[in-house]
Amino acid sequence: MATDGSESGVSSKQRQFDALVRSLSGDLYRYGYWLCSEEALAHDLVQETFLRAWRSLDSLRDTASAKAWLITILRREHARLYERKRPQFEDVDEMDVADEREAYTPEAAGEEGVIRAAMQRLDAKYREPLLMQVLGGFSCEEIAQELNITPAAVMTQVFRARQKLKGMLAGDVKEAQWS
Amino acid sequence: MVMNCLEFRRELNIHPHSADADFVAHARECPRCAHAQADALAFEAALGRALDVPAPTHLAESILLAQATAQRRERRHWRRDASWLAVAAAAVLAVGIGWRVTRAQPLGDAAVVHMLGEEAPALAYTAPVAADAVRKAFAQRGVDLTQVPSDISYVACCPVGKYKSVHMVMPRANGPVTVMYLVDDHSGRTSDFAHAGWLGRSVPLAHGTLVMIGHDASQFDQVQQIWNAALQTATRI
Repeated sequence: MATDGSESGVSSKQRQFDALVRSLSGDLYRYGYWLCSEEALAHDLVQETFLRAWRSLDSLRDTASAKAWLITILRREHARLYERKRPQFEDVDEMDVADEREAYTPEAAGEEGVIRAAMQRLDAKYREPLLMQVLGGFSCEEIAQELNITPAAVMTQVFRARQKLKGMLAGDVKEAQWS
Repeated sequence: MVMNCLEFRRELNIHPHSADADFVAHARECPRCAHAQADALAFEAALGRALDVPAPTHLAESILLAQATAQRRERRHWRRDASWLAVAAAAVLAVGIGWRVTRAQPLGDAAVVHMLGEEAPALAYTAPVAADAVRKAFAQRGVDLTQVPSDISYVACCPVGKYKSVHMVMPRANGPVTVMYLVDDHSGRTSDFAHAGWLGRSVPLAHGTLVMIGHDASQFDQVQQIWNAALQTATRI
């Protein structure tokens, strides 16, 4: 087989995929990390997301919506992974969680570590819309569409997410200036 | 002021970076809310830094490697299936059941076996290739194709049995149609064939023979029309 023509056809899809991976894998990893709070799991999640994306790359019509499309795949994959992994987390008692939290002291992790610890303690229903807004750069309407809730509910959740986060930080860091 | 302090504080917790005119005007005119906004923006900056966890080194490369590995595995799977299909088809031919022998059958056999062999993954491609790539493949076979049909997702110059072809895939509504143009083959007339569960048609057209293969033969008429129009204006180099 001569490869001149075929390479053009195969590599256009491959080039598109390479570009997506190189430009968005970091963002996807961060989003995945904040969904599952585990580095290794986040890595697997992002890899599986891109493998699924490769298989259905032809359904991506608009490059501007690539990030939202990938996040949708990642969220579904996370839901599947969570279902499979859930029993592992059922035995974690409150003491374990408390110990883990203690690692994130201002001294040990600095201001960002304190915020990270607070984010991990934030209820998922508040954390996810906030993540989509801050990390994903999505509007409330876009978040509403992705989460299948109303834009008004999204506004309420991001409002409460910030309030709760600031409340937790005020408790953790006495000198927090935004309390 | 159109926006009051309560509305401003609510908006501040929802859209801290809001550029809404009322929001901006309120911050300009209310020192307490302007101070709250400065705090909120400092919080947003800290939040952004905190969420910006570092991605693993070589994350992109590891994903691309996993994709390449998965793709190779898929190809091997296709080849194994293709080999099995070829063996099954040969067995059916040997016992002389299943289909009638026609003049086009050897060409059809060769075309289907080729399609299911090395090029099997091409059936899954749907992104269009550049018109130049198609033109170049035809030029390599000695045909100057001025009018290139759209919706070609794969093109390559391939030997199909004893024939030299331009091998293409055209995604259609009811599944892909593999199109092979055999330049300088004038040995037959229009005929339909079936092989290994696939349907095909070969048609003498312009400077050679057009072979179409797919699961839905009703799509062949349209594909034939497209290539009839394209090859009308094509010249032999």
